Amino acid sequence: MGIEAFASEWLHCDRISSYLARMVSHNRTDSLLYANLLSSALNELLETAFAHHGPEGDFCCRVSRAGNADVIELDFPCDAKTLSFYNEAAKRLQQADLTETYHSALFSGGKPDPHLGLLEVAVDYKAQISIQQEKGNRLKLAAELALEGATA
Amino acid sequence: MSIDRSYQASFNENNQEFVISGRLRPQSEAEIKPLTEALAKSLAQVRGTFYLNVKRLARLNNVAFRTISNLVTQVCGTRPDLRVEVVTSSVMGWSTRKFLPLAERLPNFSVNEYDKDFYPGQSYLEEGGFIPILRNQTKLTWHHEKYILPRHGLRPGMNMADVCCGIGDFAVLVQKELKPARILALDHSRTSLDYARKVAADFGISDIEYVYGDASEMALEDNQFDFVTCRHSLQVFDRPELILRELFRICKPGGRVYITNEKNSHCLGEPRAESIQWTYNEVARLWADYKMDIELGPKSRRFLIDVGFEDIKVDSFMVTNLDGDPQGFADIIQSWENVYAGEMARDRGDTPEFIAKFRKGFQDHIYAALHPKGYAGWPIWAASGRKPA
Repeated sequence: MGIEAFASEWLHCDRISSYLARMVSHNRTDSLLYANLLSSALNELLETAFAHHGPEGDFCCRVSRAGNADVIELDFPCDAKTLSFYNEAAKRLQQADLTETYHSALFSGGKPDPHLGLLEVAVDYKAQISIQQEKGNRLKLAAELALEGATA
Repeated sequence: MSIDRSYQASFNENNQEFVISGRLRPQSEAEIKPLTEALAKSLAQVRGTFYLNVKRLARLNNVAFRTISNLVTQVCGTRPDLRVEVVTSSVMGWSTRKFLPLAERLPNFSVNEYDKDFYPGQSYLEEGGFIPILRNQTKLTWHHEKYILPRHGLRPGMNMADVCCGIGDFAVLVQKELKPARILALDHSRTSLDYARKVAADFGISDIEYVYGDASEMALEDNQFDFVTCRHSLQVFDRPELILRELFRICKPGGRVYITNEKNSHCLGEPRAESIQWTYNEVARLWADYKMDIELGPKSRRFLIDVGFEDIKVDSFMVTNLDGDPQGFADIIQSWENVYAGEMARDRGDTPEFIAKFRKGFQDHIYAALHPKGYAGWPIWAASGRKPA
């Protein structure tokens, strides 16, 4: 879908993450538990892309499976401001004290930390997050999630 | 832009419990202002411990979490006398890990991931070597149910849920012979589910989803399934009406809920009918002492009507020693004796004399089952109701 269409409706994040998680999880050990976890992580990624993206172009969401892990790729237009935002996020995700950074952001007063969703996915869901600038002023935000067995 | 109204919130003053369920993923704090105002008002009313129940809150984003945690932090800070306990469910996966960091920050805030303590007596059934009994029981009841289920509305291609699926063998038989499009099989015993998944994997079955969940508060959406089964289970819960309401909720309008239950005091056998009768009357009393109703079978119609079902159908059938190998029937009775007399009666504190007489009835039932001219029976009631369209 076009990024403008995606970003025109906040509920897209919830609807896409819930539907996709349910579909992807049906053959996991506990499909319901897996869908709940995947939906939560995917929603945070979608909400981040909803708030931080370039002005025009397609918004693509790809999900693939690599063994025990599911890989989510969000591919969307990116301008200079967007690139700066995600570059800053990538730097923070490299920090050693990521859990502390996440908790500080989670419980901070005032406006929410704009990287909070990405920090949560990295810490709570132990995702490997990669941020790559693509050709044609696009950006790919990918998260590799190994949620099987993440809880009892 | 749409505002998310897909959550429900309520406060129970008697329990000092604020319950939030559904989905809570607002874009801004302002969208959930009615919720936060209600939560603040409820917090202000209570003393002692305040319970924030999010067991059935399926989705929560950071906007909502921060709004709730800021409010709770503020209240916990100004009222150190107050304890706030958030009640989460492991079924959701995310909720315990989300709230735990808050518990590390606030001394009067805690997280309680609730478990299966709900159901007194069930540990006997789950851990008392019951798997062989259950397998045998399903094998014998299937002789009857494979004909009864279509009469109660199960059709190929339907979307079906089997709640309290136990070791999952019933779901496998249904999938194999009656061919619903999909079966979601739910149970609150992780041991049983592990067994069910192993059996499914061994037989190359991939169309059954075995999921963990509490039948009285399922994390499943409303109106999902064409046909919902719940077999031999209402009788082992102390609050069967809670389960039945959940079965009603997840069933599609126009769909049907199918339940089976027993009336153990009507187990019978010849010869030695009197001793058999005495023992099974005592079985019913024993189960009642553990807050389980093994006499529920004929009450099924009333239960279904009370919850709101219509077009109630009730069948009863007798599993007997003539349904197959009489030894299979006898093995079931032996397993009952082992658990009921060997564990439950002993733990209730019954005298050795009582237990000996209690055991005798089971042995006489086995004698009847294996006797060349004998007859032994175990009656079951199968009932279903339609959810109004």
